[in-house]
This record gives sequence, C-alpha cells and structure tokens, in this order.
Amino acid sequence: MENNTVEILLIEDNMNDAELAIRAFRKGNINNNLIHLKNGAEALEFLFATGKFEGRDTSKKPKVILHDLKMPKVDGLEVLAKIKASDLTKSIPVVVLTSSSEHPDIEHAYSLGANSYIVKPVEFDEFVKVVTELGFYWLLKNHPSL
Amino acid sequence: MDKKEKLMIANKELAFQNVEKEKRAEQLMIANKELAFQNKEKKKRAAELIDSNKEVDELEKRVKERTEDLESFTYSVSHDLRTPLRAINGYANMLEEDYSGVLDSEGKRVLGEVRINAKKMGILIDDLLTFSRLGRKGISNSKVDVNELVKTVLSEINESTAHHAEIKYENLLPTLADYNLLKHVITNLLSNAIKYSSKKDKTFIEIKSERKKGVNIYSISDNGVGFDMKYVNKLFGVFQRLHSNEEFSGTGVGLAIVERIIHKHNGKVWAKGKEGQGATFYFSLPDVDKKTEKKQ
Repeated sequence: MENNTVEILLIEDNMNDAELAIRAFRKGNINNNLIHLKNGAEALEFLFATGKFEGRDTSKKPKVILHDLKMPKVDGLEVLAKIKASDLTKSIPVVVLTSSSEHPDIEHAYSLGANSYIVKPVEFDEFVKVVTELGFYWLLKNHPSL
Repeated sequence: MDKKEKLMIANKELAFQNVEKEKRAEQLMIANKELAFQNKEKKKRAAELIDSNKEVDELEKRVKERTEDLESFTYSVSHDLRTPLRAINGYANMLEEDYSGVLDSEGKRVLGEVRINAKKMGILIDDLLTFSRLGRKGISNSKVDVNELVKTVLSEINESTAHHAEIKYENLLPTLADYNLLKHVITNLLSNAIKYSSKKDKTFIEIKSERKKGVNIYSISDNGVGFDMKYVNKLFGVFQRLHSNEEFSGTGVGLAIVERIIHKHNGKVWAKGKEGQGATFYFSLPDVDKKTEKKQ
C-alpha cells in the first residue's frame, strides 16, 4: 500500500461493512486512494507513524477519515479524541460511521470535533448515495482544484 | 337542725364525693390505659404503613428498572440486527449487479426475494426502534395547528405514494401535543386509510374533529376493507395484523406506536369498523382552547 498517497482513511472493524463502503465509494466514482484499517489502534499507528507504520511521512495527511464508532481495542470515540487533540491531525475532516442516528455517541462525537456522520443504511443504494455525497463534499472542500 | 346533725350530713356528703372521686379516678385510669393502648396501636399501624410504603417504593423502583432494561434490550437488539442485515442486502445487491449475466430468470427471482425480505426486515427493525424510543423519551408539548399538520402530512404522502384517494378535511381543531409525535400518528393513520382502501375503485377518506367533554376527538374514516369488530382488541397490539402481507404489506407495529404516542399524551385511541365497509380510527387529545380560556 502506498501509504504516502492515501486520501481516504477508512477505519472499520466489520469486514462486510468495509467492503460495502469501498464498493459504495467506487460506485460513486470516488476513486481516490483509500486505505482500510481494521481497528482504532492500527489507525493511530498509521496517523502518528508508529508501530508497523513507523517511518511513514506524517506530513502526507488523508483528506478525510471515516471511522466506525463501535470497534474493539481502541474504539471510535478514542480515535476521534486523539485525532482532534493532536496538531498534526486535527485539521483532517472526520466522518463518523454509525448504525443508527439514535446513537447517543453521535452527540459525544460532535463534542469531540467530528465533522459529520453517516448512518449506515440497510439499503445499499442509499449507502452509495450518502457515502458519495459526503465523500465528495469533504474531498472537494479540502481541495477545490480536484 | 343542730350542729352535730349538720356535720354528719356534710361528712356523709364528703364520703360520697370521695367515693365518686375514686370511681372517676378509676375510670380515668381505664381510659388512660385505653388511650395508651390505642397510641401503641397507632404507632404500630404507622410503622406498618411506613413499611408497606417502602415496599411499594421498592416495587416501583424494580418495575422502572425492569422497564428500562427491556427498553434498552429492545433498542440494542434492533440496533445490532441492522449490521448483518446490511451485509445480506449489500451482497445480494452485488450479486444482482455483478452476476446478473450468469443468473437465469429463476435465479434472479430468488435473489429478488432475498432483497425484498431484507428490505422488509429493515423496515421492521426501524419500526421497533421507533417503538422502543417512545418508551424512553419524554414529550414536549406545544400548540399544534392540526389542520396545517394534516396538510403537511398529506403532501408528504402524495410525494412518496401513488394513490387515488379523495381526502376531505376542514377546520380541524388545534390541540396541545408533541408536534413530531402527532405527525407520526397522523401519517400512520392516513397511510393506513389509503393502504386499506386502495383496492376500492373510489376511495373516500375523511378527517374530522369535535369537542366532547373537555377533549378534542379526531377521527379518520375510510371506505376500505374495514375489519371485523370481534378483532378490534388485536388492532393495537405489537406485531398483530388482521391481514396477510400478500393482501396488504405491513409490519404490525404501526398502530402499536400510534397507541403509545396517544397514551403518552393522556389520550385514548379506539376504532370502529365493519368488514368490507371501511374503518374509522379515533383518538382524543387535549382541547387547547379550553386551557387558554381557563388561564385568562
């Protein structure tokens, strides 16, 4: 994986959801380089170039980070808090993925500095729609020349 | 009467009074004892009352805890059920998109069934989530222009559902309610009226309101399939349906939600119907004008 050109960082422990999200991006013609990491611990290693990502050039930042809320080891809110607490990463837009708009953690996520959230809909077509819209929004907002 | 005689009479009188006094004293003692006993009984009763009050409190607390447990259980179950469902639906979609060239018509039909049912389950889970959320959340009341609300709901229904119903309503009474919850009730009852009368050539639906005994009673009538009054009690139960999914689609949660919302507003819901001759659903809510008059 060419870590230094990663534009979309997807942090998702559920492999099915990850596959669907990646497919949704592709279907929505968002073909930016994407890396999928399976838990919060890995994501933090990636972002701060530690552990197995030691030596990665941290000045190459993803344009958007999407992460699930419920994850083993380091959960979504912890990852979010760490991203927003560090000068290195706090400017990267973070989109929270959740199973329900009713989730009490959504409010918590906003208070931690999340930029947006996506409710993973049961209907795949819906999923493509929201992922595309949000993906476009954040990718374009960051780089109007894209 | 000489002195001696007078003294004797006085003495006798004194002796008699003495006896009387002792008698009184004795009576007083008895009364005192009785009072002491009654006092003791009273204290015992008071203690018993305190105990049983504590028991009631304890029971109430346990019921509340159990209810909360149940609500959060329903919530997390319906919530977690969405994850595998998303996968089923997503992968079925992939099959349809990527392998439709390999599948024959029967294969496509079977796949379609998978998707239809996944979608149904999604709606069911959403309904259950709504139902459990109603148990957890409080309501915020404000004055609602019901006539405007019906107008809004109708335009939303017209946008999402094709129907041929002729719907009549005018000057519906305003009420005091949680706007979003009442919108849910009206959406549900109107959608039901449209759905269950969709097989008639001509469909008439009428929404009315009237003041009665200090409350507003709203009714929504249709000329649809109706129902047999002997099943009226089943209408508002969770997962209770009077029609098969083939006849009319539905999850059986809608009217349970309606009832729960109206009960939360201290109102009542009921229905009248006749098989093949339409149904009328009624609900009662506070009379908003009456309350403001009182305040003035």
